[in-house]
Amino acid sequence: MRRLGLLLPLLFALPAAAQQKIVERRIAVDADVSLRITNMAGLTRIIGWDRDSIAVSGTVAANGSFFFGGRGRYAKMGVDRPDETLAEPGSTLEIRVPRAARLYVKSGSAAIDASGLTGEIECYSVGGSIKIEGALQVVTAETMDGAIEVIGAMEVTRLKGGSAPVTLRRARGDVLASTVGGAIIAVEALLNRADLKTISGAITYDGAVQPKGTLEATTHSGNITFRLPSTISAELSVQSFAGTIDTDFFPKGRVPKWTAGGKEWVVALGDGAARIRMESFKGDIRILRR
Amino acid sequence: MTCSELKDRLDAYLRDALTPTEAAAFEGHLSGCAACAGLLETVGAPVAGTAALPRTVPPGEDLWPEISARLTPRRAAIPGRVVIPGWLLATAAVLLVSLSSGITAIALRSGPAAPAAAEPPRLGAQEAEFAAAAADLSRTLEQARGRLAPATIATIQRNLATIDSALAESRRALARDPDNSALEQLVLTAWRQKVDLLRRAAALSTES
Repeated sequence: MRRLGLLLPLLFALPAAAQQKIVERRIAVDADVSLRITNMAGLTRIIGWDRDSIAVSGTVAANGSFFFGGRGRYAKMGVDRPDETLAEPGSTLEIRVPRAARLYVKSGSAAIDASGLTGEIECYSVGGSIKIEGALQVVTAETMDGAIEVIGAMEVTRLKGGSAPVTLRRARGDVLASTVGGAIIAVEALLNRADLKTISGAITYDGAVQPKGTLEATTHSGNITFRLPSTISAELSVQSFAGTIDTDFFPKGRVPKWTAGGKEWVVALGDGAARIRMESFKGDIRILRR
Repeated sequence: MTCSELKDRLDAYLRDALTPTEAAAFEGHLSGCAACAGLLETVGAPVAGTAALPRTVPPGEDLWPEISARLTPRRAAIPGRVVIPGWLLATAAVLLVSLSSGITAIALRSGPAAPAAAEPPRLGAQEAEFAAAAADLSRTLEQARGRLAPATIATIQRNLATIDSALAESRRALARDPDNSALEQLVLTAWRQKVDLLRRAAALSTES
């Protein structure tokens, strides 16, 4: 009895990890399966593979219950918890899916990390970060407060963030990105169409634009910086009401006398086939050579 | 072809949307499967019946006089198109902006967006629409705020405050330069951001 008295406190003091449940499941599905994943807290890692099956492994929080079902073209999995608003304890799921799968992923504070995919993905998160890497047809990611990072050449990318940054690396195709206070950063981009909007975040675009492509960047108070190839052919349209406008695109002595004050300045570089528009209320605008 | 695959293709088959190869496989399965043949009969009959219906059904010639007679008194009550003066639209917009910001502030206990001075009527009408949408979404959010974590509410408050501040600043600039269409666009962009943020927040609160 005395031993039991000593053991009971120890049992209650077991770390949370020890109370987690381990899951390991697999089902056969079609190559273009539609899979819905819900994991509100912790981590959801999705990896595309060359098999017509979904395999999941990981640990489920002690107060969570794991569900997984479906076959053929539809499947769903996730973790149900009594209180979805709590960030802890979380569950960690590593999910392997056919590369061409169509995914819908919902998260609260859980981070979402997807790679090796070629189909479509929609991610919705409250505060968890979202990272997507691959060559997908359509990427949709929305978060209130988490960072978003998209790596690779997607056909269509739609991103909505809050106060955390939205980053695109090696982006191609069409991009719609908006944030409230988070920066929008495009690195090594070669876009066809882009509409980048933020209220107070900065917009940084480092890359080129497709011939006849159109890029638009709009901020209220965030700065806009475009680093473009010196050989670019585009019509630039620049406007800021209370910010400064600056460029190193022209030889000394031929710098256009751009000033703020709300006037729209338009200048053609090369044959001006593509169109790039930058607009801010009071953010500074800089157009620099790469 | 399995029974399950046949069920998946049933609709396409009835719409004649299968390729010849698919149709042959479909019919091959039907010939050897009584259950699927029965299913086709059950589902196919009403579809075929629907397909046999005429594309359009002209109204009876004797119908219109009665409808027209009922409409006439109402028409008579409306003397002509109501032309709302610009100042009234602008006032309505300002009121709705205040209402929307007030509701949002109550919903999330954040600071309101500053109402604006007089502005072009066209913009006023658009702002009124945005403000009405924002007010609706704020009410939805208020009803479901218990389902959001405190940290999420704080995030929404912070983002709304950022947008409201930008909106107020753009509107002040527009009041000084009312003919500036680029400023109008900045105002509308901020409104779109606000409505979109509220929509996303409302969706989170009702889905989670």
